[in-house]
Amino acid sequence: MKKKGVIIGVIAIAIIAGIAASVSSSPSETMNLDMSRTHGTISTAMGSPILGDPSAPITIVEFGDYQCHQCYNWFHNTKPAIMEDYIKTGKANLVFVDLAFLGRDSPKAAQASYCAEDQEMYWEYHDMLYNLQEDKIDSGWANSERLKAIALDLGLNNELFESCLDSGKYSKRVQYNSQQARDHGVRGTPGFFIVGPDGQQQLGGAQPFSVFKQVLDAMI
Amino acid sequence: MTSAINSVFSNLKYLVLSLSIFSSMLIGLLILSEYVFLEPYVVSHIPSGTEFGFVLIVTLSALSALVLPMNIFRINTLKKSKQKMGGGVFGSFIGAVAGACSCGPIGFAVISTFGSVGASATAFLTNYEIPIRLIAIMILAITYFTTVKSLKIECKFDPKL
Repeated sequence: MKKKGVIIGVIAIAIIAGIAASVSSSPSETMNLDMSRTHGTISTAMGSPILGDPSAPITIVEFGDYQCHQCYNWFHNTKPAIMEDYIKTGKANLVFVDLAFLGRDSPKAAQASYCAEDQEMYWEYHDMLYNLQEDKIDSGWANSERLKAIALDLGLNNELFESCLDSGKYSKRVQYNSQQARDHGVRGTPGFFIVGPDGQQQLGGAQPFSVFKQVLDAMI
Repeated sequence: MTSAINSVFSNLKYLVLSLSIFSSMLIGLLILSEYVFLEPYVVSHIPSGTEFGFVLIVTLSALSALVLPMNIFRINTLKKSKQKMGGGVFGSFIGAVAGACSCGPIGFAVISTFGSVGASATAFLTNYEIPIRLIAIMILAITYFTTVKSLKIECKFDPKL
C-alpha cells in the first residue's frame, strides 16, 4: 500500500513538473510564423519579422550573411538613410532573409537571430551582430559562446536562448531561407529585391543610397 | 630609371598595352570589390572605412601596368628569358584574387562548387585581403626595380639599341 502511494506520488510530481516546464517555455519559444507570407515571388515566411509598417506599399527584401563585410558596409553606409527616408515614413518596409554561406559560424549566427525573435528581440539582435562584426570570417566573433554572450548583453533570457541555439531549432529555417535566395538567383550578399505594387527589381551588392532612392522613388 | 621607362613607353605598342592593363585591372577590381556597380545604373562610391582598399587597388593596377609591359619589352626586344616576367604576373594575379572571393558572386560560386574547401580558401583570401595585396604590391615593386636594373645593364651592352 505504502509502495503504491510512493509510485503515485512520483508520477504526480513528474506530471506537475512536465506541465510547469511546458508552461514556462511555451510562450517565448512558440514560432509565430505566417507560412503564407510572400513578397513578390519570394517566400519570406521564414525570414525576419517585418521592419517598419507592414502595410507599406514597398518591401525591401535583403538577403544577407552576418559574416559578410559588404553587408556590414551596407548596414552602416546605406541602411540608415533608407530607414530615415523610407521605413520610418511608412513608404517602405524591410525583411531580412538569410543567405548564410560564408563560413561555419554564419548559419549559427542566423539561427541565433531567430532565437532572439522568440523573445521579441530579433531586430535588436540583428543590429548587434552587424555592429559587432569583425573583419575576419570564422575568427570566433560569431561562435556559439559569443552569440550567447550577445544575447546576455541584450538582456535576453539566457536559459531560453541557450536551449534554443544549442538545439538547432532554427537550422531548417535558415536552410530554407538560403534556398529561397538560390532559387531567386541571388549570387552573393547582400542581395536585394525591391518589391512594389507593380513588380519587383533585383539589386546586387552593397549599392549606395542614391541607387536605392532612384529605384524606390520610381515605385512610389 | 627614367631612361628605362622612356625606352619602353616611347613605343606606342607598349603604351597601349600599359593603358589596357591599367584600365582593365582597375575597372575589374573596382567592380569585384563593389566600388563600382553597373546595374541598374552605373555608379561608383567609396564606402567609409574602405578607402585604404581603394588605394591598394589603384596602386596594384598602376604597378601591374608598369611592370608587365616592361617585362614583355625585355623579352621581345632583348630576347631574354621569361623568368623575371613571372614575378610581375604572379604579383598581379595574387593581388587581383585577394578580396575578389568575398561575399560577391565569385566567392559564392567558389563556395557552391567546392564546398568547405572553397569556403576555407575564400575565407583566407577575404580575411587577409589587405596583407595579400600589400605583398602583391611588394612583389611588383621588387620586379619593377630588378627589371629597370636589368634593362639598364642589358641595353647598355646591346649595340642595336
